[in-house]
Amino acid sequence: MNTVRAAALGVAVTVAVMVAVLATGRSGPDRMTAHLVGQPAPPVAGTTIDGDRWDLDDQRGRWVVVNFFSTTCVPCVREHPELVAFADAHRAVDDVRVVSVAFDDRASAVEAFFRERGGDWPVLAATTGRIAVDWGVVAVPESYLVAPSGYVAAKVAGGVERADLESLLSRAGADR
Amino acid sequence: MNDPVRLPVIRLAWLAVALAVAASLAIAVVADPPALTNADRVRQLAEDFACPVCAGQSLAESDVPVARTIRATISILVDDGVGDDEVRSLLVSRFGTDIDYNPSGSGLTGVVWVLPVVIGGVAVGLLALAVRRWQGTRTDIRTRSVLVGTAGLAVLAGLALAGAAGSRRGDDALSGDIRASTRTLLVEASVVPPAEAIEIYDRVLELQPSNVEALAYRGWAAWRGGDPGSARTDLHDAVTLDPSYPDARVFRASRRLAEGDAAGASEDLTVLDGLDAPPIVGDLVVASRLRERVADELARSGEVVAALELLDSGLIVLEGSDPRRAAAPLLAHRGWLLATTGDRALAELSLLSLDEAIALAPTDPYALAYRAVTLHLLDRREAGSRDADAFTALIDQPPELLELLVSRGLLTSTGG
Repeated sequence: MNTVRAAALGVAVTVAVMVAVLATGRSGPDRMTAHLVGQPAPPVAGTTIDGDRWDLDDQRGRWVVVNFFSTTCVPCVREHPELVAFADAHRAVDDVRVVSVAFDDRASAVEAFFRERGGDWPVLAATTGRIAVDWGVVAVPESYLVAPSGYVAAKVAGGVERADLESLLSRAGADR
Repeated sequence: MNDPVRLPVIRLAWLAVALAVAASLAIAVVADPPALTNADRVRQLAEDFACPVCAGQSLAESDVPVARTIRATISILVDDGVGDDEVRSLLVSRFGTDIDYNPSGSGLTGVVWVLPVVIGGVAVGLLALAVRRWQGTRTDIRTRSVLVGTAGLAVLAGLALAGAAGSRRGDDALSGDIRASTRTLLVEASVVPPAEAIEIYDRVLELQPSNVEALAYRGWAAWRGGDPGSARTDLHDAVTLDPSYPDARVFRASRRLAEGDAAGASEDLTVLDGLDAPPIVGDLVVASRLRERVADELARSGEVVAALELLDSGLIVLEGSDPRRAAAPLLAHRGWLLATTGDRALAELSLLSLDEAIALAPTDPYALAYRAVTLHLLDRREAGSRDADAFTALIDQPPELLELLVSRGLLTSTGG
């Protein structure tokens, strides 16, 4: 009888622990989206749609907004004017750079997108799959703020607004 | 019953069976797996990981952009000579352990492997103990309750583990939700009422924010469900995203017409004419007489030339179509617009289109009724009456045509 009780108690405790772990653990998307913040930024390098070579490593000492987008994504279309306004506001001071990385898109469509909607920052459109995987991109638009030290300071999912980016920069202590 | 000679033989037989099973399992584990090609490895790796944003689908099964991107990256890595373990580590480090269908046996994830064995062992032990006790002495009610409770807990534990292993999202069924591919959802949405369909399209758009089909059809469902604001936004977004998606053009044209924007509707239909739309879309436009209704609105607002151009645009698309009679309704309407300008020369000209329409489709009610009225207008009453009589012999007599013929004195009553 004591053996039965002890075994039953053991199973009950095990189940209780398991339920606690499963119920209180962070859900998948949360865990996925937060993992890069505070970590060294993964590589972003390649040839831009203008034919120039671009490498995130060359931007050390500046803040960089790394924006993952697609021309066929509604939130990306909606956020684009905000990015244009943000880039325009920082062009004179040159304290922040923006780079866009096309996600699962055609280079010709990306070129047309920027031609029609503006934005003169570097855009990587060819063979960007590995970059997206390195950054753990799951659903565009996703944008990351990379500090001058090369560490990821913040992430914005679902479309950026200029005011939010400015606020992130202020909170992160950007010297502007 | 318990023959002392047969008992050792039976035990030996059981032992032999157990040894055979154990040996087979050992060989299966130790034996070298067959050599895999790179394509096999890519497929296997894709099957071993869940799509990060889908419910119950592996990377191999899903067609959302992130799954396509990860599959392509796996393929590049494998072709570059990167080992399977390295690829697995990369994916887990980037997308989390949740996507790994075969988590490692170390750390907290090791619990997933160990717990079922422990729980199963305890449950079997308890059952054995219970059987022995029931065979020996009477078991009291408390012992039985503990045993039943233990078995229940074991079942719950199993279900929780199945849920954790098979489901990618907190709100999914315990065993995972393999229905939820976007294609399945879109098919499902097409057969339910608008409100339900909108919820399904919402789910598709969560998985694929750029799914233009879901956007267009959600807009159409919103329109049918009496929410013009949402319909306007969704259909606009769908056309912006993919200006060459025919369904979105047709839906937006229909909405624009209903909201009094005949010029906008005409623009969408003209663009549609330049697309390689599937026949079902053309059939939808014909069956709903959308083009003719838009042309009517244009003509009513004084844009007769624009109305004729819209009809001509549709006729050009139908050139060479089989059967050619599909052009008859547009020809009939073209003739009717010319006949109703009030210009006798144009009315004469309209007979060319009306005659051609009737030559292509002798029983087209619109062609017959419009020609009857036109001939009447041109004082060829006898010929007009013949067309009116032919109309009354038709089974399909659209009410608006009956009213037209009665109002012009070609029929005496709406009953013919």
